[in-house]
Amino acid sequence: MNVLFGLVSAMLVGATPILLAAIGGTFTYYAGIFNIAMEGMMLVGAFCAVLGSFFLHSWFLGILCAIAGALVMAGIFVLFAVRLHTDEFLTGIALNLFAVGLTTFLLRDIFHVKGAFTDAGIRAIPAARLPLIEGIPFLGRLLSGYNAIVYVAILITVLSAFVIYRTRFGLRLRGAGYNAECLSSSGVSASTIRIWSLIVCAVCCGLAGAYLSLGYVRLFAENMSAGRGWISLTAVILVSGNPWGIAIISLLFGFFDGLTVFLQGSRIPTQFTAMIPYVATLVSLYLYSVRRKRQA
Amino acid sequence: MRKQALSGILGVLAAFAIGALVLLFQGFNPVATYGALLQYSLFGGSGFTATVTRAVPLILTGLSASIAFASGPVNLGQPGQLIMGALGATLVGLFVHLPSAFLIPLCILASLVGGALWSGLAALLKRAFAMDEFIVTLMLNFIADYFALWVITYPLFDPSATSPMTRPISTAAWLPDLGGVNTSVVFMVLAAVVCWLIMSRGRSGYEWRMTGQNSLFARIGGCKVDVNYVRVMLVTGALAGLAGGLMIMGGPHRFVKGLGANYAWDGIMIAVVANNGISGTFLYGLLFSALQQGAIGMELVTAVPSEFIDVLQAVVVLVVVAGRVSLNIVFDRLATRRKLKESAG
Amino acid sequence: MARDVLIDLRHITKVFPPDTVALADVSVSFESGEIHALVGENGAGKSTLMKVFYGLERRDAGDIFFRGAKVEFRTPREAISAGIGMVHQEILLIPEYTVWENIVLGAEPVRAFGRIDAHRAREAVRQKIGEFQFNLEPDALVGDISVAARQKVEILKLLYRNVSVLILDEPTAVLTPQEIPQLFSELERLRDKGHTIIFISHRLDEVLALSDRVTVMRRGKVVGTSAASKLTKEDLARQMVGREVLFTSRRLPQKPGEIVFCARGLNCSDTEDRARLHDATVDVRAGEIVGVAGVEGNGQFELVNAIMGLAPMTSGTLEVEGKDITCADILARRALISFVPQDRGKMGASVAASILEDAIMTHHVLDPSFSTGRGLGLNYRRAAAFTEQIRKQFDVSMGSVGDRFHSLSGGNQQKVILGRELLLETPFVLMDQPTRGLDVGSIEYVHQLLLDLRGRKRAVLLVSADLDELFMVADRIVVVCQGEVVANLATDATSREEIGYYMLGGKETAHAETGS
Repeated sequence: MNVLFGLVSAMLVGATPILLAAIGGTFTYYAGIFNIAMEGMMLVGAFCAVLGSFFLHSWFLGILCAIAGALVMAGIFVLFAVRLHTDEFLTGIALNLFAVGLTTFLLRDIFHVKGAFTDAGIRAIPAARLPLIEGIPFLGRLLSGYNAIVYVAILITVLSAFVIYRTRFGLRLRGAGYNAECLSSSGVSASTIRIWSLIVCAVCCGLAGAYLSLGYVRLFAENMSAGRGWISLTAVILVSGNPWGIAIISLLFGFFDGLTVFLQGSRIPTQFTAMIPYVATLVSLYLYSVRRKRQA
Repeated sequence: MRKQALSGILGVLAAFAIGALVLLFQGFNPVATYGALLQYSLFGGSGFTATVTRAVPLILTGLSASIAFASGPVNLGQPGQLIMGALGATLVGLFVHLPSAFLIPLCILASLVGGALWSGLAALLKRAFAMDEFIVTLMLNFIADYFALWVITYPLFDPSATSPMTRPISTAAWLPDLGGVNTSVVFMVLAAVVCWLIMSRGRSGYEWRMTGQNSLFARIGGCKVDVNYVRVMLVTGALAGLAGGLMIMGGPHRFVKGLGANYAWDGIMIAVVANNGISGTFLYGLLFSALQQGAIGMELVTAVPSEFIDVLQAVVVLVVVAGRVSLNIVFDRLATRRKLKESAG
Repeated sequence: MARDVLIDLRHITKVFPPDTVALADVSVSFESGEIHALVGENGAGKSTLMKVFYGLERRDAGDIFFRGAKVEFRTPREAISAGIGMVHQEILLIPEYTVWENIVLGAEPVRAFGRIDAHRAREAVRQKIGEFQFNLEPDALVGDISVAARQKVEILKLLYRNVSVLILDEPTAVLTPQEIPQLFSELERLRDKGHTIIFISHRLDEVLALSDRVTVMRRGKVVGTSAASKLTKEDLARQMVGREVLFTSRRLPQKPGEIVFCARGLNCSDTEDRARLHDATVDVRAGEIVGVAGVEGNGQFELVNAIMGLAPMTSGTLEVEGKDITCADILARRALISFVPQDRGKMGASVAASILEDAIMTHHVLDPSFSTGRGLGLNYRRAAAFTEQIRKQFDVSMGSVGDRFHSLSGGNQQKVILGRELLLETPFVLMDQPTRGLDVGSIEYVHQLLLDLRGRKRAVLLVSADLDELFMVADRIVVVCQGEVVANLATDATSREEIGYYMLGGKETAHAETGS
């Protein structure tokens, strides 16, 4: 039984950053932006979260700093890819490299450490207890007591499904992706919609980054995002941006991520267990591609 | 061509200006910093030679990315292919005992094969299952990294070492220095020349470039697009693998943890800023190498963390790439103004 | 009947960098409640003028007055709020959305939290459909309805926003001869309700049939404005081109030779197993031009792809000069087939490449004189000489062979492509909409090329949406409808109306003796 709870817990923990980033990616996907800067946004978010939490002594302010950092990254993306019409792919790659360089540089420059920074002064995001559900004997332990951001992530998923499919903004968002020229001639600026989608994506990726560094650990390590941004991107592509599909895929990846931790005690060398999320991504890409090829 | 050079020079200067602002903001002296950078990278005995040697993996991975991006395949797997090439060279260097004249070429071949195998895997997945090589090569990077880590921690581990690494490879495979510069530079230059010949003078290069620009047009024109795809992936994988092999043979002579696959990401950046041109990749490769080489000395003199260079490099890329587009807009506006004057007068 | 001046454009100038003066000091005025046609050849500036007015392009000089006040529409949104709407030549709708979603996009009725009020939207759309008597179903997916219906959705989209001025850019380009009268009666109904309609076209019969006044443009300048009743087709043509224009065919009678190209029983299906091409059979003889007519999307694209090897066929055979190419790869076919594709930029060339690079495609592998270094190298000197040959032979106006392809005008780009393809000297030539988007001079040039090919006993298959073009150069016309070849008629023995009839699905006899 404990194994089950442990696995479910690990699954949700692993799924949350991917879910958040992927939901953000959904908005840019529908808007027709080829956004590969999610990895960089997450990394900057993770760093700024530690920055804010340490210097401002509050995990909440840390989260706000994470979002602010990610917004700055989005701002650079907007400046180059939307305003200056630079290729989105190149801008994304450059931004990711910029994020790695900047966070590593500031890690040395501000905290005077190499590799990772951890300190008792970093305030972590607390767990949240659901008052009513807690009492239920079996489900209570399963559903309550996770880190607050896990619940935020679930809320954001539900909200985004509503926004994308039922609201005016959502109609225009998808319109920007389907046919931006049509949207512009309908009197709505496609550029503005794209910028908004990037802002939403930045907020989500900032949250994901904050969860990485303030959620279940209390540190920032170089290149901490470890490819989760790429996995989120894959998730978005696999389900063609559907928020519910993304929730399921994120849980799946979270499962594999959790499996990695779970198997660390076993006799399989850690290097191979660490490969699991990436191999899982390849397998899911295989399933998706083969299905698409069969349809075509 | 001239527009490229202009946007390049302006972009680099602008990036340095932005970097200076960042330095000032953090309380450092930009002039002293850039001065130290210059001094330690280009002047002083070991500076220049070290820069040239360091440029080997940068330029090779840059060429790999340049050729791939110009020809269509989005090969972002240079880090993994570099590692696999390094592993290949290490394996041969550890277990094959031959004199230098044979061992060195064999190790180089092994590095080419190692890199090509890893990129070939991605190509296979694309051709057989339509799996997008963009994601596949990225995931393979991580897998290669962990795989290599396992190899040097268990099977090939050097029992006398305190951290994960292999035993040194046979001395017959070591690439000597010549006047301060490592001979791996020779192989790098050779590879660069071959790349230039293929892309600018070769029939394959022409087909690859056309495919990269408009694959439907190339296909209708009779180019064997699928075959070319595989060839490009194999060639670019081999180039990145060569970088890894040369690093082992010319550098620490053994596979050490943290070998420096980061060079491969820099290589990608170099290809981007050079707009996938061969000569541009070569020049920017030297520039970034100079920056990285000078960074260590810069840190000694001015206490600016050497990671500042990573930021500066990324800024150069962003500014040059954006500048390229803006420059076109500026040129267009100038042309419009000229034409208006003509038709009015 | 004196009407008020509604729109007054004065001294509008527009330059496209680096070299093209699209509008040179253009002044036109439009009166309220009229149907005003803006006529000119491709490249005359009529679309550009309206785009400048509408806010899609920025002008470089001049003023715009609307209802007497000086205005500047920086975006189409501003124009729409002022009551002006434009329907573009390429239908700009979202196929994944329904009719009502497309119509209300940008002006959606909402409830709390920005939630779309679907019920209210549907009702409003239904009401407008009834008011103007358009035949549309609000919940149909735009991707599923006909082209003519999509055009109606575009118009309704503007009427939903209560525009009083409608600008239509080449609206009949996508319609069959039978669908045009319906559009015209709808436009006349709108005019009678008080709307003003500006109608851009290069089709002279329609312009004279529909409009009250006509303005002719040529090379970025206004030639003149007159009442339609006072003009003849010849007057218009002369003003458009600046000289006498012949409307008769220049095809000399010629007896065709042996069958060069033979397609039998071609069948192609798409991803959902729908038959896109069904049992298609076409022959082309030496010294013959066979035209393929049909409403867009009825199998022409699939036919072209099947012939070139771009898409697989489920069954059928293809032969050129007796050689079976049914299973041959694209390169093998190119040795026998020259191909001028529909979309220059997407299929005919790489616009980012140099002119030389685009000119030598296919030659670089089929012509041994292009190889050096034991087949590995490309002889760039030969390539440059070859490009120069194209320049001279096909009268291409360009700078140097190293210039970018996209720096050439549309007509010159097409000439390079034609030069490249025709210098392959293949027995069979396949051309898909070769004159689309070209100016009259270039169109005449292409027609002359086609007739020359015919004179030199080559076999030409010409797919074209322009019936005038087909009637001018083709010996025979084949009509495709819903993937089937429904008619195969000698041009001299049929009429535009009859072809239109077959295009829309009338299928009495495949080989009519006479038509009147």
